[in-house]
Amino acid sequence: MRSAETGLPRWFPRFGGMPAFAATELRVQLHEGLAILTSMIVQVVLLVFVAILAPRYFGIALLGAIVFSAFSLGQRVLNEAAYIRVDHKLNELYLASPLAPEAYFLGIAVGVLIAYLPPVVGLVVLAEAILHLSLGVAFLVGVLILAVWLFAASMGYILSTAFRDMRSIWSYASLLYNLFGVLPPVFYPLVLWPAGLRPVALVLPPSAAAALLQNALDPGLLAPGEVALAAGALGVAAFGLFFLTVYWARRSAQER
Amino acid sequence: MPSEPLVASDVRKVYESRRGPRIEALNGVSMSVHRGERVALLGRNGAGKTTFLKIASTLLAASSGRVEVFGHEVGREADLVRPEIAVVPQEGKPFFHLTPREQVYTYLRSRGMSREVAHDRGERALAAMELTEVADRLAISLSGGQKQRTMVATVLATGAPLLFLDEPTIGMDPFARRAVWQSLRELTREGSTILLTTHYLDEAEALADRLYIVERGRVLVEGTAASLKQDVGGTLRVTVPQGGRLTETLRTFGRVVPDGDTVHVLVEPGRLNELLTIAVRERLTATVGPVTLEEAFLRVVGRSIEDEVG
Repeated sequence: MRSAETGLPRWFPRFGGMPAFAATELRVQLHEGLAILTSMIVQVVLLVFVAILAPRYFGIALLGAIVFSAFSLGQRVLNEAAYIRVDHKLNELYLASPLAPEAYFLGIAVGVLIAYLPPVVGLVVLAEAILHLSLGVAFLVGVLILAVWLFAASMGYILSTAFRDMRSIWSYASLLYNLFGVLPPVFYPLVLWPAGLRPVALVLPPSAAAALLQNALDPGLLAPGEVALAAGALGVAAFGLFFLTVYWARRSAQER
Repeated sequence: MPSEPLVASDVRKVYESRRGPRIEALNGVSMSVHRGERVALLGRNGAGKTTFLKIASTLLAASSGRVEVFGHEVGREADLVRPEIAVVPQEGKPFFHLTPREQVYTYLRSRGMSREVAHDRGERALAAMELTEVADRLAISLSGGQKQRTMVATVLATGAPLLFLDEPTIGMDPFARRAVWQSLRELTREGSTILLTTHYLDEAEALADRLYIVERGRVLVEGTAASLKQDVGGTLRVTVPQGGRLTETLRTFGRVVPDGDTVHVLVEPGRLNELLTIAVRERLTATVGPVTLEEAFLRVVGRSIEDEVG
């Protein structure tokens, strides 16, 4: 079945109006300059600790901080989408309009991404200066940032539709933050993670991205099969969840 | 778009919950809204007005029944309905960190309007809502009424063929409410159609071409404000404080509505003098006013509640 408007299949994502809505969201976020600056506090504090306590792991922690930032940047979609829906009810204004539900989701995600990206870029520049990343590794960093962000933003949007009260979101957001970003080997080397649980670390998107970066710095850290597992899991998690979110955005635009 | 803006038949909505009781929010609502009309849904809190509005505006799925907007079924063809509509949500608030000007402009842009059109329409809507003076202040610093006017301006600026407004003037002062009414009248003159809910009966009377009174998920009555008032049983209301002892006498003039020791009598003008003479003779004060939509509403909804109980 095809859309009468676009001639594209009905299942095909429609993103018309998304840039304008992302620009709206970006303007909203830019009014919160302090929040953008303080978005790096956890990463900076952890880097300082590592620099003092285990300087030999600083490079790994720095790459981990980039991955963690990409994850928490995506996670902001959970709070933002829920805030717009629960506190402002603006989702109704936008969803009952020509803006497609998937464009609404991606507009929030992209607006937040652009607003909060500069500090992450700062970390990448720092990593480049300290670790002298090759062009290939720098490219890999960019791809992994996008994959982890896409995963976290998609997960955040789906979860945001489940809550009716902002208070109950905070505890879940904190849980996810620690479960995906702090506990697994994102900030610390994969070799310090229990060997028996290594596959778990390689399928959780942030730690999979961190493991791929650690492997790029220290080739041979991962067996070829492990590289495939981490890359495959990250790709499936990011794109699989993204397309699931496109479906979910449409479905949840008309509550049951 | 040759089809009617809105046609609903036998719409039902049941909220099933594992924890709480099953709630029947709509119980067979049927209605139609014609092109260029302003139609108001009236009802007590929880009567089902917002539920119906959400279903008609594609935001909520009906349990059964059919709603068509410009010939498209809202459940299956939501993506064809949405370009034709705009919604002021109940208790909606603008982005606090945008100015009214930014809010209206960026919303129109996200609906696909060009920069020039979005700018022109936005400025006109802001002026109509008397927001020009505060158009560059962040919404967080605006009063509640100004925030609500920003929401209304955002939606009115779309000029969408069908507008849904859920309590659009809540929290506004009388001047602002009249500015909204004026804008809505202009929009319908230009061809838009409006379905709104309100608790302000004077608003419904001043604004709506037709009214639907909804109670417990059902349409109790449909008509113009004049026809509903006519059904009340008189065109004048005489209020007699401390008139309780005369209730039986007053009943011969028309419908009597006791309110403590005060009695309201709904009479036709021809019998007014006779009634006032009795009041003077009994040394009672009496005030005379027109029957309002409130009387019609209370009578219709009150009768429905009595029917349920009885």
